[in-house]
Amino acid sequence: MTEIIVVTSGKGGVGKTTTSASLACGIARRGKRVAVLDFDIGLRNLDLIMGCERRVVYDFVNVIQGDCTLKQALIKDKRIETLYVLAASQTRDKDALTQEGVRRVLDELTADGFDYIICDSPAGIEKGAHLAMYFADRAVVVVNPEVSSVRDSDRILGLLASKTHRAEQGNGGVKEHLLLTRYSPKRVASGEMMSVDDVKEILGLDVIGVVPESQDVLTASNAGTPVILNEQSEASQAYEDAVARLLGESKPLRFIEEPKKGFFARMFGG
Amino acid sequence: MNKPAEAVRSPASTAPLEIRFGQVGLAQVRIRTTDPGAILDELTGRVATAPHFFERTAVCLDLSALEKEPDVAEVRAVMDAVRRAGMLAVGLAHGTAAVDALARALDVPVLTYFRPQNRPPPVLQPADPQELAVPALMHHTPVRSGQRVYARHRDLVVTSAVGAGAEVIADGCVHVYGAVRGRAVAGARGDVTARVFCQEFYAELVSVAGVFRVFETIPAELAGKPVQAWLSGDDLHVARIGG
Repeated sequence: MTEIIVVTSGKGGVGKTTTSASLACGIARRGKRVAVLDFDIGLRNLDLIMGCERRVVYDFVNVIQGDCTLKQALIKDKRIETLYVLAASQTRDKDALTQEGVRRVLDELTADGFDYIICDSPAGIEKGAHLAMYFADRAVVVVNPEVSSVRDSDRILGLLASKTHRAEQGNGGVKEHLLLTRYSPKRVASGEMMSVDDVKEILGLDVIGVVPESQDVLTASNAGTPVILNEQSEASQAYEDAVARLLGESKPLRFIEEPKKGFFARMFGG
Repeated sequence: MNKPAEAVRSPASTAPLEIRFGQVGLAQVRIRTTDPGAILDELTGRVATAPHFFERTAVCLDLSALEKEPDVAEVRAVMDAVRRAGMLAVGLAHGTAAVDALARALDVPVLTYFRPQNRPPPVLQPADPQELAVPALMHHTPVRSGQRVYARHRDLVVTSAVGAGAEVIADGCVHVYGAVRGRAVAGARGDVTARVFCQEFYAELVSVAGVFRVFETIPAELAGKPVQAWLSGDDLHVARIGG
Protein backbone atom coordinates (compact mmCIF):
# COMPACT_ATOMS: atom_id res chain seq x y z
CA MET A 1 0.00 0.00 0.00
CA THR A 2 1.26 3.42 -0.88
CA GLU A 3 1.42 6.11 1.76
CA ILE A 4 1.47 9.75 0.78
CA ILE A 5 3.30 12.01 3.23
CA VAL A 6 3.28 15.78 2.84
CA VAL A 7 6.10 17.81 4.37
CA THR A 8 4.70 21.26 5.03
CA SER A 9 4.98 24.25 7.38
CA GLY A 10 3.25 27.39 6.17
CA LYS A 11 6.32 29.47 6.89
CA GLY A 12 9.27 29.51 4.52
CA GLY A 13 12.85 28.66 5.36
CA VAL A 14 12.12 26.31 8.23
CA GLY A 15 13.59 23.23 6.57
CA LYS A 16 10.82 21.60 4.54
CA THR A 17 13.01 20.64 1.61
CA THR A 18 15.89 19.51 3.83
CA THR A 19 13.40 17.39 5.76
CA SER A 20 11.75 15.98 2.62
CA ALA A 21 15.12 14.95 1.22
CA SER A 22 16.34 13.39 4.45
CA LEU A 23 13.10 11.55 5.22
CA ALA A 24 12.95 10.24 1.64
CA CYS A 25 16.57 9.01 1.83
CA GLY A 26 16.06 7.53 5.29
CA ILE A 27 12.96 5.60 4.30
CA ALA A 28 14.43 4.47 0.98
CA ARG A 29 17.59 3.25 2.73
CA ARG A 30 15.38 0.81 4.58
CA GLY A 31 14.51 -0.82 1.30
CA LYS A 32 11.22 0.96 0.64
CA ARG A 33 10.47 2.40 -2.77
CA VAL A 34 10.19 6.14 -2.34
CA ALA A 35 9.35 9.01 -4.69
CA VAL A 36 9.95 12.54 -3.48
CA LEU A 37 8.01 15.27 -5.33
CA ASP A 38 8.82 18.98 -5.44
CA PHE A 39 5.57 21.00 -5.39
CA ASP A 40 7.38 24.34 -5.28
CA ILE A 41 6.78 25.18 -8.92
CA GLY A 42 8.85 28.18 -9.95
CA LEU A 43 11.22 27.93 -6.99
CA ARG A 44 12.69 24.52 -7.59
CA ASN A 45 15.07 23.49 -4.80
CA LEU A 46 14.63 19.83 -4.02
CA ASP A 47 16.80 18.78 -6.97
CA LEU A 48 19.67 20.85 -5.52
CA ILE A 49 19.37 19.33 -2.07
CA MET A 50 19.17 15.88 -3.61
CA GLY A 51 22.15 16.63 -5.83
CA CYS A 52 20.41 15.79 -9.11
CA GLU A 53 19.97 19.32 -10.52
CA ARG A 54 22.02 18.61 -13.61
CA ARG A 55 19.97 15.56 -14.47
CA VAL A 56 16.58 17.25 -14.64
CA VAL A 57 15.19 16.87 -18.12
CA TYR A 58 11.47 16.79 -17.53
CA ASP A 59 9.60 18.06 -14.51
CA PHE A 60 6.28 17.81 -12.67
CA VAL A 61 4.53 20.28 -14.97
CA ASN A 62 5.72 18.43 -18.07
CA VAL A 63 4.14 15.25 -16.71
CA ILE A 64 0.88 16.97 -15.89
CA GLN A 65 0.69 18.58 -19.30
CA GLY A 66 1.50 15.31 -21.04
CA ASP A 67 4.81 16.47 -22.55
CA CYS A 68 6.43 13.29 -21.25
CA THR A 69 5.64 10.17 -19.27
CA LEU A 70 6.09 9.98 -15.52
CA LYS A 71 8.85 7.40 -16.02
CA GLN A 72 10.81 9.84 -18.15
CA ALA A 73 10.53 12.58 -15.54
CA LEU A 74 11.43 10.53 -12.47
CA ILE A 75 15.11 10.90 -11.65
CA LYS A 76 16.65 7.82 -10.08
CA ASP A 77 18.92 8.58 -7.15
CA LYS A 78 22.54 7.54 -7.62
CA ARG A 79 23.12 6.60 -3.99
CA ILE A 80 19.96 4.72 -3.07
CA GLU A 81 18.46 2.18 -5.47
CA THR A 82 14.84 2.63 -4.42
CA LEU A 83 14.70 6.44 -4.38
CA TYR A 84 13.29 8.67 -7.12
CA VAL A 85 12.94 12.43 -7.45
CA LEU A 86 10.34 14.37 -9.42
CA ALA A 87 11.61 17.92 -9.84
CA ALA A 88 9.50 21.05 -9.97
CA SER A 89 9.45 23.32 -12.99
CA GLN A 90 11.54 26.43 -12.59
CA THR A 91 10.00 28.34 -15.48
CA ARG A 92 6.34 28.01 -14.61
CA ASP A 93 4.24 29.17 -11.72
CA LYS A 94 2.00 27.28 -9.33
CA ASP A 95 -1.07 27.64 -11.52
CA ALA A 96 0.47 25.06 -13.82
CA LEU A 97 -0.46 22.42 -11.23
CA THR A 98 -4.03 21.14 -11.25
CA GLN A 99 -5.78 18.91 -8.77
CA GLU A 100 -6.63 16.47 -11.52
CA GLY A 101 -3.04 16.44 -12.77
CA VAL A 102 -1.64 15.86 -9.28
CA ARG A 103 -4.14 13.07 -8.70
CA ARG A 104 -3.06 11.38 -11.96
CA VAL A 105 0.63 11.52 -11.01
CA LEU A 106 -0.03 10.17 -7.51
CA ASP A 107 -2.28 7.42 -8.88
CA GLU A 108 0.38 6.41 -11.36
CA LEU A 109 3.07 6.27 -8.67
CA THR A 110 0.71 4.20 -6.53
CA ALA A 111 0.00 1.83 -9.40
CA ASP A 112 3.74 1.56 -9.98
CA GLY A 113 4.15 0.10 -6.50
CA PHE A 114 5.86 2.92 -4.63
CA ASP A 115 5.68 2.41 -0.87
CA TYR A 116 5.98 6.08 0.04
CA ILE A 117 5.40 9.33 -1.80
CA ILE A 118 6.90 12.38 -0.09
CA CYS A 119 5.36 15.68 -1.20
CA ASP A 120 7.64 18.63 -0.54
CA SER A 121 5.26 21.56 -0.10
CA PRO A 122 6.03 25.16 -0.98
CA ALA A 123 5.72 27.78 1.74
CA GLY A 124 2.47 29.65 2.08
CA ILE A 125 -1.11 28.44 2.04
CA GLU A 126 -1.91 29.00 -1.63
CA LYS A 127 -2.47 26.60 -4.45
CA GLY A 128 0.93 24.86 -4.38
CA ALA A 129 0.75 24.15 -0.67
CA HIS A 130 -2.89 23.16 -0.98
CA LEU A 131 -2.23 20.64 -3.74
CA ALA A 132 0.82 19.24 -1.93
CA MET A 133 -1.30 18.37 1.10
CA TYR A 134 -4.61 17.60 -0.60
CA PHE A 135 -4.10 13.88 -1.21
CA ALA A 136 -1.87 13.19 1.78
CA ASP A 137 -2.40 10.35 4.24
CA ARG A 138 0.03 11.81 6.72
CA ALA A 139 1.63 15.18 7.27
CA VAL A 140 4.97 16.12 8.74
CA VAL A 141 4.66 19.72 9.86
CA VAL A 142 8.12 21.26 10.08
CA VAL A 143 8.34 23.91 12.74
CA ASN A 144 11.13 26.06 14.14
CA PRO A 145 10.96 26.83 17.83
CA GLU A 146 9.90 30.42 17.39
CA VAL A 147 6.52 32.13 17.55
CA SER A 148 5.87 32.97 13.91
CA SER A 149 6.71 29.47 12.74
CA VAL A 150 4.50 27.98 15.44
CA ARG A 151 1.58 30.15 14.47
CA ASP A 152 1.97 29.34 10.77
CA SER A 153 2.12 25.67 11.64
CA ASP A 154 -1.10 26.03 13.59
CA ARG A 155 -2.65 27.54 10.48
CA ILE A 156 -1.41 24.68 8.32
CA LEU A 157 -2.74 22.14 10.81
CA GLY A 158 -6.12 23.81 10.50
CA LEU A 159 -6.00 23.43 6.73
CA LEU A 160 -4.87 19.81 7.02
CA ALA A 161 -7.91 19.17 9.19
CA SER A 162 -10.33 20.77 6.73
CA LYS A 163 -8.97 21.23 3.22
CA THR A 164 -7.68 17.78 2.39
CA HIS A 165 -9.24 14.86 0.57
CA ARG A 166 -9.19 12.74 3.73
CA ALA A 167 -10.83 15.52 5.75
CA GLU A 168 -13.51 15.99 3.10
CA GLN A 169 -14.18 12.23 2.98
CA GLY A 170 -14.40 12.22 6.75
CA ASN A 171 -12.34 9.04 7.08
CA GLY A 172 -10.19 10.03 10.00
CA GLY A 173 -8.43 12.94 8.35
CA VAL A 174 -4.72 13.32 7.76
CA LYS A 175 -2.44 11.93 10.49
CA GLU A 176 -0.35 14.85 11.70
CA HIS A 177 3.20 14.84 13.08
CA LEU A 178 5.39 17.67 14.28
CA LEU A 179 9.06 17.87 13.43
CA LEU A 180 11.14 20.56 15.08
CA THR A 181 14.18 21.80 13.22
CA ARG A 182 16.94 24.27 14.04
CA TYR A 183 16.59 23.39 17.68
CA SER A 184 19.26 24.76 19.97
CA PRO A 185 19.14 23.23 23.48
CA LYS A 186 21.58 25.87 24.66
CA ARG A 187 19.30 28.73 23.65
CA VAL A 188 16.30 26.92 25.09
CA ALA A 189 18.15 26.57 28.39
CA SER A 190 18.90 30.28 28.42
CA GLY A 191 15.28 31.10 27.67
CA GLU A 192 15.85 32.57 24.21
CA MET A 193 14.10 29.79 22.35
CA MET A 194 10.84 27.91 22.82
CA SER A 195 11.27 24.40 24.16
CA VAL A 196 9.93 21.18 22.65
CA ASP A 197 7.31 21.13 25.37
CA ASP A 198 6.21 24.71 24.63
CA VAL A 199 5.67 23.87 20.98
CA LYS A 200 3.94 20.60 21.79
CA GLU A 201 1.61 22.33 24.18
CA ILE A 202 0.66 25.17 21.85
CA LEU A 203 0.06 22.92 18.87
CA GLY A 204 -1.34 20.03 20.87
CA LEU A 205 0.51 17.40 18.86
CA ASP A 206 3.26 14.92 19.50
CA VAL A 207 6.71 15.44 18.13
CA ILE A 208 8.12 12.92 15.69
CA GLY A 209 11.60 14.37 15.68
CA VAL A 210 13.79 17.19 16.93
CA VAL A 211 16.63 18.15 14.61
CA PRO A 212 19.30 20.24 16.30
CA GLU A 213 20.64 23.40 14.70
CA SER A 214 23.74 22.26 12.85
CA GLN A 215 26.32 23.60 10.43
CA ASP A 216 26.13 20.24 8.71
CA VAL A 217 22.71 21.08 7.24
CA LEU A 218 24.01 24.00 5.18
CA THR A 219 27.11 22.07 4.17
CA ALA A 220 24.95 19.16 3.08
CA SER A 221 22.63 21.40 1.06
CA ASN A 222 25.50 23.00 -0.78
CA ALA A 223 27.02 19.61 -1.51
CA GLY A 224 23.72 18.18 -2.76
CA THR A 225 23.88 15.37 -0.22
CA PRO A 226 20.86 15.11 2.10
CA VAL A 227 22.14 15.64 5.62
CA ILE A 228 20.84 12.27 6.78
CA LEU A 229 23.60 10.66 4.71
CA ASN A 230 26.29 12.38 6.79
CA GLU A 231 26.15 9.91 9.61
CA GLN A 232 28.62 11.75 11.82
CA SER A 233 26.16 14.61 12.15
CA GLU A 234 23.68 14.92 14.98
CA ALA A 235 21.18 16.23 12.45
CA SER A 236 21.54 12.98 10.52
CA GLN A 237 20.94 10.89 13.63
CA ALA A 238 17.93 13.01 14.54
CA TYR A 239 16.44 12.50 11.06
CA GLU A 240 17.19 8.79 11.27
CA ASP A 241 15.22 8.67 14.54
CA ALA A 242 12.37 10.58 12.92
CA VAL A 243 12.29 8.07 10.06
CA ALA A 244 12.14 5.23 12.57
CA ARG A 245 9.25 6.87 14.41
CA LEU A 246 7.48 7.61 11.15
CA LEU A 247 7.67 3.90 10.36
CA GLY A 248 6.19 3.03 13.72
CA GLU A 249 9.23 2.40 15.92
CA SER A 250 9.44 4.12 19.26
CA LYS A 251 12.63 5.97 20.14
CA PRO A 252 13.39 8.44 22.89
CA LEU A 253 14.00 12.01 21.73
CA ARG A 254 17.69 12.93 21.51
CA PHE A 255 19.53 16.22 21.21
CA ILE A 256 16.97 18.16 23.22
CA GLU A 257 19.28 18.82 26.12
CA GLU A 258 22.61 20.53 26.23
CA PRO A 259 25.35 17.93 25.84
CA LYS A 260 27.45 17.48 28.92
CA LYS A 261 30.60 16.19 27.36
CA GLY A 262 33.45 15.01 29.51
CA PHE A 263 37.07 15.94 28.96
CA PHE A 264 37.94 12.88 26.89
CA ALA A 265 34.84 13.14 24.78
CA ARG A 266 35.80 16.70 23.96
CA MET A 267 39.38 15.73 23.17
CA PHE A 268 38.53 12.79 21.00
CA GLY A 269 35.26 13.96 19.56
CA GLY A 270 33.36 11.12 21.32
CA MET B 1 -29.45 19.91 67.41
CA ASN B 2 -26.78 21.07 65.03
CA LYS B 3 -25.02 24.36 65.35
CA PRO B 4 -27.08 27.16 63.91
CA ALA B 5 -26.13 27.64 60.30
CA GLU B 6 -27.17 31.22 60.25
CA ALA B 7 -28.50 33.68 62.78
CA VAL B 8 -30.71 36.67 62.15
CA ARG B 9 -29.64 39.03 64.87
CA SER B 10 -31.80 41.79 66.15
CA PRO B 11 -30.03 45.12 66.16
CA ALA B 12 -30.07 45.48 69.91
CA SER B 13 -29.23 42.68 72.32
CA THR B 14 -32.07 43.91 74.50
CA ALA B 15 -34.69 42.83 71.94
CA PRO B 16 -37.33 40.53 73.46
CA LEU B 17 -36.33 37.66 71.22
CA GLU B 18 -33.79 36.40 68.79
CA ILE B 19 -34.56 34.24 65.79
CA ARG B 20 -32.01 31.66 64.79
CA PHE B 21 -32.18 29.32 61.85
CA GLY B 22 -30.50 25.99 61.91
CA GLN B 23 -30.83 22.36 61.06
CA VAL B 24 -32.15 19.66 63.33
CA GLY B 25 -32.17 15.94 62.90
CA LEU B 26 -35.72 14.66 62.68
CA ALA B 27 -36.99 11.12 62.57
CA GLN B 28 -39.55 10.45 59.94
CA VAL B 29 -42.26 7.90 60.60
CA ARG B 30 -43.82 6.59 57.48
CA ILE B 31 -47.08 4.89 58.34
CA ARG B 32 -48.70 2.23 56.20
CA THR B 33 -51.86 2.10 58.33
CA THR B 34 -53.93 4.53 60.33
CA ASP B 35 -54.77 1.89 62.94
CA PRO B 36 -53.59 3.56 66.20
CA GLY B 37 -53.30 0.21 68.00
CA ALA B 38 -50.95 -1.28 65.41
CA ILE B 39 -48.86 1.89 65.37
CA LEU B 40 -48.64 2.00 69.17
CA ASP B 41 -47.55 -1.66 69.34
CA GLU B 42 -44.87 -1.25 66.71
CA LEU B 43 -43.49 1.99 68.11
CA THR B 44 -43.48 0.78 71.69
CA GLY B 45 -41.42 -2.20 70.58
CA ARG B 46 -38.94 0.03 68.78
CA VAL B 47 -38.67 2.52 71.60
CA ALA B 48 -37.95 -0.33 74.02
CA THR B 49 -34.83 -1.23 72.02
CA ALA B 50 -33.33 2.23 72.49
CA PRO B 51 -35.30 4.13 75.12
CA HIS B 52 -32.83 7.00 75.46
CA PHE B 53 -32.66 7.53 71.80
CA PHE B 54 -36.40 7.70 71.21
CA GLU B 55 -37.61 9.31 74.40
CA ARG B 56 -39.55 12.49 73.60
CA THR B 57 -37.87 12.60 70.25
CA ALA B 58 -39.50 14.77 67.64
CA VAL B 59 -40.88 12.90 64.67
CA CYS B 60 -42.52 13.87 61.49
CA LEU B 61 -45.35 11.77 60.09
CA ASP B 62 -45.11 10.72 56.51
CA LEU B 63 -48.52 9.83 55.11
CA SER B 64 -47.38 9.11 51.59
CA ALA B 65 -47.39 5.31 51.99
CA LEU B 66 -51.08 5.19 52.91
CA GLU B 67 -53.39 3.75 50.33
CA LYS B 68 -55.92 6.52 50.69
CA GLU B 69 -55.80 10.02 52.08
CA PRO B 70 -56.60 9.87 55.83
CA ASP B 71 -59.01 12.30 57.45
CA VAL B 72 -58.25 14.67 60.32
CA ALA B 73 -59.59 12.37 63.03
CA GLU B 74 -57.53 9.44 61.83
CA VAL B 75 -54.32 11.47 61.81
CA ARG B 76 -55.08 12.92 65.21
CA ALA B 77 -55.49 9.35 66.56
CA VAL B 78 -52.19 8.34 65.00
CA MET B 79 -50.42 11.32 66.57
CA ASP B 80 -51.91 10.33 69.91
CA ALA B 81 -50.60 6.79 69.53
CA VAL B 82 -47.15 8.15 68.73
CA ARG B 83 -47.18 10.30 71.87
CA ARG B 84 -48.23 7.33 73.98
CA ALA B 85 -45.28 5.39 72.61
CA GLY B 86 -43.00 8.11 74.02
CA MET B 87 -42.29 10.21 70.93
CA LEU B 88 -43.75 13.54 69.84
CA ALA B 89 -45.21 14.03 66.40
CA VAL B 90 -44.43 17.64 65.58
CA GLY B 91 -45.54 17.87 62.00
CA LEU B 92 -46.43 16.21 58.73
CA ALA B 93 -44.04 15.39 55.96
CA HIS B 94 -44.51 17.50 52.88
CA GLY B 95 -46.69 15.84 50.31
CA THR B 96 -49.89 16.52 48.45
CA ALA B 97 -52.29 19.41 48.80
CA ALA B 98 -54.40 17.12 51.03
CA VAL B 99 -51.45 16.89 53.46
CA ASP B 100 -51.29 20.68 53.56
CA ALA B 101 -55.00 20.84 54.40
CA LEU B 102 -54.59 18.21 57.14
CA ALA B 103 -51.66 20.09 58.65
CA ARG B 104 -53.68 23.27 58.74
CA ALA B 105 -56.62 21.51 60.39
CA LEU B 106 -54.33 19.91 62.99
CA ASP B 107 -52.39 23.13 63.49
CA VAL B 108 -49.04 21.47 62.87
CA PRO B 109 -46.39 22.49 60.37
CA VAL B 110 -45.60 20.75 57.10
CA LEU B 111 -42.00 19.95 57.72
CA THR B 112 -39.80 18.37 55.20
CA TYR B 113 -39.58 18.35 51.52
CA PHE B 114 -38.90 14.66 51.18
CA ARG B 115 -40.53 13.51 48.03
CA PRO B 116 -43.21 10.88 48.59
CA GLN B 117 -41.68 7.68 47.31
CA ASN B 118 -44.54 5.24 47.07
CA ARG B 119 -46.62 7.24 44.64
CA PRO B 120 -46.36 6.62 40.95
CA PRO B 121 -44.14 9.28 39.40
CA PRO B 122 -46.07 12.09 37.77
CA VAL B 123 -46.58 11.64 34.07
CA LEU B 124 -44.29 14.06 32.26
CA GLN B 125 -45.96 16.16 29.64
CA PRO B 126 -43.89 16.51 26.49
CA ALA B 127 -42.45 19.99 26.64
CA ASP B 128 -43.09 22.62 24.06
CA PRO B 129 -40.06 22.46 21.72
CA GLN B 130 -39.74 26.21 22.12
CA GLU B 131 -39.06 25.66 25.81
CA LEU B 132 -36.39 23.00 25.37
CA ALA B 133 -32.82 24.17 25.76
CA VAL B 134 -31.02 24.66 22.46
CA PRO B 135 -28.08 22.26 22.55
CA ALA B 136 -24.68 23.91 22.45
CA LEU B 137 -22.46 23.54 19.42
CA MET B 138 -19.76 21.06 20.42
CA HIS B 139 -16.29 21.28 18.92
CA HIS B 140 -13.81 18.60 19.93
CA THR B 141 -10.76 19.29 17.79
CA PRO B 142 -8.25 22.12 18.14
CA VAL B 143 -9.39 25.39 16.58
CA ARG B 144 -6.30 26.26 14.59
CA SER B 145 -4.92 29.64 13.61
CA GLY B 146 -7.09 31.13 10.85
CA GLN B 147 -10.10 28.92 11.65
CA ARG B 148 -13.37 30.33 12.84
CA VAL B 149 -16.06 28.43 14.69
CA TYR B 150 -19.44 30.10 15.07
CA ALA B 151 -22.37 28.85 17.16
CA ARG B 152 -25.48 30.51 15.80
CA HIS B 153 -28.32 31.14 18.30
CA ARG B 154 -26.62 29.05 20.95
CA ASP B 155 -23.64 28.36 23.16
CA LEU B 156 -20.33 27.07 21.91
CA VAL B 157 -18.39 24.40 23.79
CA VAL B 158 -14.82 23.73 22.67
CA THR B 159 -13.08 20.82 24.38
CA SER B 160 -9.70 21.58 22.84
CA ALA B 161 -7.41 24.56 22.44
CA VAL B 162 -8.05 27.72 20.42
CA GLY B 163 -4.87 28.78 18.65
CA ALA B 164 -3.49 32.27 18.19
CA GLY B 165 -5.31 33.93 15.30
CA ALA B 166 -8.29 31.58 15.60
CA GLU B 167 -11.79 32.81 16.46
CA VAL B 168 -14.50 31.16 18.52
CA ILE B 169 -17.80 32.98 18.34
CA ALA B 170 -21.26 32.28 19.77
CA ASP B 171 -24.56 34.10 20.01
CA GLY B 172 -24.69 32.64 23.51
CA CYS B 173 -21.82 31.83 25.82
CA VAL B 174 -18.41 30.54 24.78
CA HIS B 175 -16.90 27.74 26.89
CA VAL B 176 -13.40 26.53 26.13
CA TYR B 177 -11.97 23.60 28.08
CA GLY B 178 -8.43 24.25 26.93
CA ALA B 179 -6.11 27.14 26.25
CA VAL B 180 -7.43 30.18 24.38
CA ARG B 181 -4.72 32.04 22.49
CA GLY B 182 -6.97 33.52 19.83
CA ARG B 183 -10.22 35.47 20.03
CA ALA B 184 -13.30 34.56 22.02
CA VAL B 185 -16.55 36.36 21.22
CA ALA B 186 -19.76 35.75 23.18
CA GLY B 187 -23.14 37.38 22.60
CA ALA B 188 -22.29 38.00 18.97
CA ARG B 189 -25.82 39.21 18.26
CA GLY B 190 -26.00 41.44 21.27
CA ASP B 191 -26.86 39.20 24.22
CA VAL B 192 -25.40 41.21 27.09
CA THR B 193 -25.82 38.31 29.53
CA ALA B 194 -23.56 36.01 27.52
CA ARG B 195 -20.16 35.16 28.93
CA VAL B 196 -16.83 33.77 27.89
CA PHE B 197 -15.35 30.98 29.99
CA CYS B 198 -11.98 29.41 29.41
CA GLN B 199 -9.73 26.99 31.16
CA GLU B 200 -6.37 28.56 30.30
CA PHE B 201 -6.42 32.21 29.41
CA TYR B 202 -3.96 33.62 26.87
CA ALA B 203 -6.55 35.29 24.62
CA GLU B 204 -5.72 38.12 22.24
CA LEU B 205 -9.21 39.50 22.37
CA VAL B 206 -12.35 38.86 24.38
CA SER B 207 -15.72 40.32 23.51
CA VAL B 208 -19.25 40.20 24.91
CA ALA B 209 -22.11 41.77 22.94
CA GLY B 210 -19.73 43.95 20.99
CA VAL B 211 -17.78 45.28 23.96
CA PHE B 212 -14.26 43.99 23.63
CA ARG B 213 -10.89 44.03 25.27
CA VAL B 214 -7.61 43.48 23.52
CA PHE B 215 -4.83 41.89 25.53
CA GLU B 216 -1.61 43.26 24.20
CA THR B 217 -0.02 41.85 27.30
CA ILE B 218 -1.83 39.33 29.42
CA PRO B 219 -2.12 40.37 33.05
CA ALA B 220 0.04 38.04 35.13
CA GLU B 221 -2.85 37.13 37.40
CA LEU B 222 -4.87 35.88 34.42
CA ALA B 223 -2.24 34.20 32.25
CA GLY B 224 -2.87 30.49 31.97
CA LYS B 225 -5.63 30.64 34.57
CA PRO B 226 -9.32 29.73 34.36
CA VAL B 227 -11.02 32.98 33.48
CA GLN B 228 -14.47 34.31 32.69
CA ALA B 229 -15.53 37.52 31.01
CA TRP B 230 -18.88 39.23 31.43
CA LEU B 231 -20.58 42.53 30.86
CA SER B 232 -21.62 44.77 33.68
CA GLY B 233 -23.24 47.85 32.24
CA ASP B 234 -20.87 48.97 29.54
CA ASP B 235 -17.84 47.47 31.22
CA LEU B 236 -16.34 44.19 30.21
CA HIS B 237 -14.95 42.40 33.23
CA VAL B 238 -12.35 39.71 32.89
CA ALA B 239 -11.46 37.80 36.02
CA ARG B 240 -10.29 34.50 37.35
CA ILE B 241 -12.90 31.91 38.12
CA GLY B 242 -12.83 30.81 41.72
CA GLY B 243 -10.00 33.09 42.71
